Amino acid sequence: MKSLLVRQALILAALALVPGLGQAVYFRNRVSWRSPIPASEMITVTQARAWGGNAIWVDARPDEEFARDHVPGALSLNEDRWNELLPQFLAAWSPEKKIVIYCSSQSCNASREVAHRLRNEAQLPNVFVLKGGWEEWLRNR
Amino acid sequence: MKKFLWRLVDLVIAVIFIYAGAVKVLDPVQFANDIDNYKILPWTIGVGLAFYLPWLEIFCGLALIFRLLYRGALSILTALVAIFIIATIAAKVRGLDITCGCFGHVSQDWNFPAHLALDLVLLAGVILLFHATGAKPRDLKGA
Amino acid sequence: MRTHIFAFALSIVICVTAHAELKWEQTAVELHPAPTDKEAVGHFKYQNTGSKPVRFKSVHTSCGCTAAQSQKEEVPPGEKGEITATFKIGDRTGTQVKTVTVQTDDPTNVTTVLTLKAVIPQELEINPTFVFWGKGEAPNPKTIVVHAGKDFSVKQLKVASSSPDFQTKVEQTGKDQFKIDVQPRETDKIIAATLTIQPEDSSKIFYATARITNAPAIQ
Repeated sequence: MKSLLVRQALILAALALVPGLGQAVYFRNRVSWRSPIPASEMITVTQARAWGGNAIWVDARPDEEFARDHVPGALSLNEDRWNELLPQFLAAWSPEKKIVIYCSSQSCNASREVAHRLRNEAQLPNVFVLKGGWEEWLRNR
Repeated sequence: MKKFLWRLVDLVIAVIFIYAGAVKVLDPVQFANDIDNYKILPWTIGVGLAFYLPWLEIFCGLALIFRLLYRGALSILTALVAIFIIATIAAKVRGLDITCGCFGHVSQDWNFPAHLALDLVLLAGVILLFHATGAKPRDLKGA
Repeated sequence: MRTHIFAFALSIVICVTAHAELKWEQTAVELHPAPTDKEAVGHFKYQNTGSKPVRFKSVHTSCGCTAAQSQKEEVPPGEKGEITATFKIGDRTGTQVKTVTVQTDDPTNVTTVLTLKAVIPQELEINPTFVFWGKGEAPNPKTIVVHAGKDFSVKQLKVASSSPDFQTKVEQTGKDQFKIDVQPRETDKIIAATLTIQPEDSSKIFYATARITNAPAIQ
């Protein structure tokens, strides 16, 4: 009885390999097998830090929170004063930079909304959202 | 009547696994990241599993519905759920903040107890099916 | 002994029938602020239809741009009240959805999520809002396309550049559609300008940025 079960399981395992391999081939350009590349727009603190001077950090939180504390060197860009803050951000930007946007935590939406506007309105490339936000950055300080 | 009820359990569990598999098939890159979040497996293996596991879930779910390779499918599903429950508890104990990934990003907003509860129910379901159909090893097709 | 059992049973019955229940008139509100409004306010009305008072344990908004107030902390049975959610529009655009999570001691409904949807009218849609040339790039004109937002009509566009280093030329390309050609005088220096774009009969001003950037070392 046991051998029947094992045989069945092996057949199923082998069957699933077929579409699995097919998908791996189909998606081969979308994912790196060697290292975690940002899935869509999210990156981790570690990944962002690895970019060093190539990264430009953006704080999407309200002014008071930015004033209290922020990632050293980060620029404030929030939707309350978008029109006023955007030109300052663009002055610091250049095409090869990677933009890392954060708000207070994983669950806040401000960073995603700022990312959306930078991508769609200003049409900038390399726009990323920091996974875990300010909370996560503090944890890895 | 009893047979009908077990058949129903079959179908419910099969549908859950097929759905879970299908959601992950649609975004394997996201699933690879979700696996990586548990920090148990190296990235490369995680990517491999991300492409493979969802299909395994779908095929096992189909096996349950069509009663083909039935016991093999049940044992695979039992192993999958058990491993997943252990991984989830391990992550929680280590303080990792995880968005499950088992139902793809649709379950993003669920909380830990809800997830764990559903998985324990699934585990109970597959184990029960295993025992219920154990007595009739030949009853693999039909009925 | 009998009276103890009776009292116990009675207390259970009372506990079960004496309940708290907070009923919301609506948990989703859609607002349509005017283009010049600075805030959008949503009113979420509730009533305690139970027989026990309900207490608000917390009122928590999804972002710092929304402030929510409940007028009272404890709602006696039968009483009505409302939670006012004030959404600061700022420079936000499009449809904004913000939530207010309310926690009470009502056991049938501990957490309620109130949704505030504000549809912010967009008079102009500007694409892109940023044009740039790398240092040393040929100073050819780049185009910004402007068209009127949904439910709006724009007959004429006023465009001004904050710096003479960038010239602008406006042309109407169709009904409610325009294009702005922006051209720098030179691209050897890092210079920038803010373009103010205004529909002819509106007080609202829109912005675009033009600048010369440091070209990447390797393309």
